[in-house]
Amino acid sequence: MFCRITVLLMIIGLVSLLLPNTLDACPACKNLDEPIARGFNWSVLFMMAMPFTVFGVIGGSVYYHFRRANGVRT
Amino acid sequence: MTHTEVDIIQNRPISNAKLGVLVLLGAETMLFVGLIGAFLVFRMGNVNWPPLSLGDIQLPQLVTGINTFLLLFSGLSMFFSVRYIQQDKIQQHHLSLAITWFLGVAFLVIQGSEWIQLIRQGLTLQSGIYGGIFYVLIGCHALHVLGAVMWLSIVLAKSLLGRFSSQEYTGVETCMLYWSFVVALWLILYILVYLY
Repeated sequence: MFCRITVLLMIIGLVSLLLPNTLDACPACKNLDEPIARGFNWSVLFMMAMPFTVFGVIGGSVYYHFRRANGVRT
Repeated sequence: MTHTEVDIIQNRPISNAKLGVLVLLGAETMLFVGLIGAFLVFRMGNVNWPPLSLGDIQLPQLVTGINTFLLLFSGLSMFFSVRYIQQDKIQQHHLSLAITWFLGVAFLVIQGSEWIQLIRQGLTLQSGIYGGIFYVLIGCHALHVLGAVMWLSIVLAKSLLGRFSSQEYTGVETCMLYWSFVVALWLILYILVYLY
C-alpha cells in the first residue's frame, strides 16, 4: 500500500515537471512596471529599512554616551 | 538613598529620562513610517496626484514652505536653549525657549488656517485617498507638534521658576530631543506631501 502511494506521488511529480507553469508568489509584484507595484516596492523597502535605522540610532546614541562617559573618566 | 546609589545615578552615561524619550521616539518613528509607507503606495500608484476627480485643488506650498522655515528656526532656537543652560546663561536660555514656544504656536496657527482654507475649497477627510492620507498624515504630525508645545510650556514654566541649571537640565534636553524629532519629521513630510 505504502509502495503504491510512493509510486503514485512520483508519477505526479514527474508529470508536473513535464508541465512547468510559473507561479505568482507575490500577487502585488506581477507587473513590476505598473505604478502601484512600484509604490508597493518602495513602501516595503522604506518600511523594511526603518527598524534597522531606529535600533541603529538608539543603540548608537547609547554607545556614544557610554564612550563619552568613559573618555571623561579615564 | 545611600551615597553609593547617588553616585551611580549621577555617573550614569545616559539618564533614564533621555533613554525613555529615545525609545518613545523610536515608537513614534514606526507609527509615521507606517503612515508614510501607505502614502508612498497611494502617491506612486497614482499617475495623477491630486486625482483628477478633485478638480484643481492645490496644496499651499509657499505658505507651508514659510511655515517650514519657522519650524526649522524653532529647532535651532531649541538647540541653543540647551547650549545656554549648559553654559549657565539663564537669560538667553529663557529667551530662546520663549522664541521656540512662540514659533511652535505660530506653526500650529498657520497650519490650522491653511486647513480651514482647504476644507472651504472642498478637500476633506472624505475626499478619497488623497484627502484621507493628507489629513491623517499631516494631522498626526500637528497633534505631535501640539504635544511638543504643551511639553515646552511646562519646561518654560519650570525654567522661569529656576528649576534648571548647568548641573541639572535633563528636562530641557529631553524636550529638545522630542522637538528635534517633530522638526525633522516635518521636513520629510513637507517634501513628500507638498512637493513630491
